[in-house]
Amino acid sequence: MTASDRFIVIVGCGRLGAYLANRLSRDGNGVVVIDAEEQAFAALSPEYSGFRVEGDATELAVLREAKADKADVVVAATRDDNVNLMVAQVAKVEFGVARVLARVFEPRREAVCRKLGVETICPTAMSAELFLKAIAREPAP
Amino acid sequence: METRGVLIVDDEKNIRLTLRRALESLRLDTDSAVNGEEALAKLQERRFSVVLLDLKMPGMDGMEVLRRLRAARPEVKVIIITAHGTIESAVEAMKLGAADFIQKPFAPKEIRDLVTKVLDRDKLAAEKAESYEEHVELAKRCISQRQFDAAEEHARQAVSADATKPEAFNLLGVLLEMAGRKLEAQKNYRAALALDPTYRPANENLSRTTGLTSGGISVGAGTGGGEAGGERTP
Repeated sequence: MTASDRFIVIVGCGRLGAYLANRLSRDGNGVVVIDAEEQAFAALSPEYSGFRVEGDATELAVLREAKADKADVVVAATRDDNVNLMVAQVAKVEFGVARVLARVFEPRREAVCRKLGVETICPTAMSAELFLKAIAREPAP
Repeated sequence: METRGVLIVDDEKNIRLTLRRALESLRLDTDSAVNGEEALAKLQERRFSVVLLDLKMPGMDGMEVLRRLRAARPEVKVIIITAHGTIESAVEAMKLGAADFIQKPFAPKEIRDLVTKVLDRDKLAAEKAESYEEHVELAKRCISQRQFDAAEEHARQAVSADATKPEAFNLLGVLLEMAGRKLEAQKNYRAALALDPTYRPANENLSRTTGLTSGGISVGAGTGGGEAGGERTP
């Protein structure tokens, strides 16, 4: 298995989920994207060659339908931290997925994730860091 | 050695692409067709070892392609691609002689493993057996001797020999369950029950694996079988 030959399940087909799905699919990975709203899949590019599963990813049956239990990587990228945490927890604990990544907006929730072995990416903390760095920089003359 | 060609038949471009990509590393000669008519034309032109066939296609559907293919080229192995939750049509296809089936969506590795397994199936059938009954008996004997790969092979051969009887599907389910492939096991228990809703071993196994009741694995009545205990190392 190479870096571009993985089976990746992405939960949430919003801006982030769709972008990741398009890129990962284009690179040759097997991709399944889950979203509760069918129209969300319109954000996928015509070149996207993965699967679409319509359903609520907090339901175990939906994750199973997407074969998240067979995934090499699960990415929880909905706009709801609680959904992402729940999906990530199921993927890690119930399915034993090797790599689980979750987006969390609330920095305080990151600690909970780490305890579960879930990697997190916090857009709030990341952009705050960038802002602070920019503020600390000397203004251009 | 003859090149082992794989023909991919699906009306959806993304599925054709996914399958083709997944099979790349096996170095098989792949070709694709967008509908049943094109598939049959390609199958007349050249030899393929395996056909990956979608059941739902506009025009001639997969079931009709399978029917014609089994009549004209029975040596070609057919793997059926079905949508999630359409187990009945997959069972119907197995009755028509399909080698195996896979439900969408699928992981690249799943497809590779299945195609490899189907291609190697001939080689694996070491012991001579022809009839459904012989294969079922051998499968049970292999289970009791803990030769699980050989047992699985015989169970599959039994399914190909006669896909109208539930016992072989139940045995396959038992073997998959022991290998830790619970969902696939349940798929086969359900297939057995679809053929005969009163078949008790499959009913018991399904209830147990879905957590409704507890109890041992049931391989059904007959010689050489009995309780199959212990974990199977996949």
